[in-house]
Amino acid sequence: MAAKRSNFGKDTGLQARMLLTMFLLGLVYVVFLGVLFAVGAGAGIIIVVAVVLLALQFFGSDKIALASMGVKEVSASQEPELHSIVERLCVQADLPKPKIGVIETSMPNACAMGKSKKNTTVCATRGILELLSPAELEGVMAHELTHVINRDVMVMTLASFFATLASMIAQFTLFFGGGFGGGYGRGRDEEEELMLILLVSVLVYAISFLLLRALSRYREFAADRGSAVLTGRPSALASALLKISGTMERVPTQDLRKAESMSAFFIMPARTKQSLMNLFADHPSLEKRLAALERLESQLQGAA
Amino acid sequence: MGLRDILTGRHTVKGPASDDKLFAITTAYITLESEHSIEPTGDAAIVFQALATSDFESTLRDTEEVVKATCGDSGTTVATEDDSFGYRWMVLRNAAGAPSVEDLAVGINAVSSSIEAAGHGERLLCAVFAFADGQKRRIYFIYNYKRGSWYPFVPVGGSSNERSTERELQLKAQMGTELPIEPELERWFPLWGIPI
Repeated sequence: MAAKRSNFGKDTGLQARMLLTMFLLGLVYVVFLGVLFAVGAGAGIIIVVAVVLLALQFFGSDKIALASMGVKEVSASQEPELHSIVERLCVQADLPKPKIGVIETSMPNACAMGKSKKNTTVCATRGILELLSPAELEGVMAHELTHVINRDVMVMTLASFFATLASMIAQFTLFFGGGFGGGYGRGRDEEEELMLILLVSVLVYAISFLLLRALSRYREFAADRGSAVLTGRPSALASALLKISGTMERVPTQDLRKAESMSAFFIMPARTKQSLMNLFADHPSLEKRLAALERLESQLQGAA
Repeated sequence: MGLRDILTGRHTVKGPASDDKLFAITTAYITLESEHSIEPTGDAAIVFQALATSDFESTLRDTEEVVKATCGDSGTTVATEDDSFGYRWMVLRNAAGAPSVEDLAVGINAVSSSIEAAGHGERLLCAVFAFADGQKRRIYFIYNYKRGSWYPFVPVGGSSNERSTERELQLKAQMGTELPIEPELERWFPLWGIPI
């Protein structure tokens, strides 16, 4: 089993660390650009650098994620049921068939990765394949395919691009506002100015970070709805979510820790307990998702 | 899918293609028979997602009545079954010894039109027509409602899910002028366990 491939050093509070890492990553990004600015590089260069960084993130992220999760691509003869489910959904959604991968872990989860409809991988863990009935699995895979249809990877990348750009504009105005006001007496104010630039950049970044998290939660609701629309069975997805979350709490900790780092890509966050503030969550709470699916089911039934 | 749909994450399911090419099979089968000795077996089926609503169920009951009335004269029978994926198949069988692709196409069209008329057109998946070649091997022609196009599907017998892509490509070359064949090969989705 995959659990034997234990990974030391990923022990405590990994989710918190992931959050911190992402935050710091963005901070570094902003500080880096801020310093570039202070050194005297023109706005044009900074925007070029930002675009290059984002392009790298956009084109490289899915490959890195796929490799780090241990996704193994499976053929139709290895996983006939999963392939059949996805194929039918593709006919229904009018999509070309994506690559299909399996992650050998007992954690029940699923994820989709890819930049475009033509270049996508949908993955399911061994745990989810064993846990769910075909109809429930179909709901989960439809949720993942909806992420592909909605181009969530692109949307999130672009959204963070604008957040970065906003912070750069803030720096830009501050820098020139201060610069012109001070005339030639810059030398004395330079340090103060620099601090101010950084402070504003950090603030802008902090706010956009929370906004991006909120955006991510909204995209999850949208994917749930898309799944219900695609399969015509909102309650099947609701039942799948209940089953997954029920198992989540019972799965041995070692697997939980292993899977935690990949929370952002999955249909359910690895930890269902509300240990962090809702603001920081990239997935909405189970109760809210179930309530939304229940509304969809009653709409469906009400159409009679 | 427009930019607005992407931004709002709002996704609607596509309905059947406006240009219905189902009846292309009623001329194509003549070529299949005369030039490639591929005979219709007299069976066809339509597969769709059955919504678990009373509205949809009553639509289906009406549909079955309509099909029975349309095809009853020729001895064509209708049967319904659900597969393990939760999709519903409506299987039309010609009377033994009298295969008629025209009758089957009319019957399949009656099913799809009444589902569409009830406002559930986006639930339609495919229609399947069964043929057999000289060696009695099964050949299916599948009509994708969303795309409005056909593709051949030749499963290799046995328990393993294998298809003969070679044979399918030969059929594409043979029938390309007669049938509107799906140009993108990655959309030639197999349907395993076809009940006909």
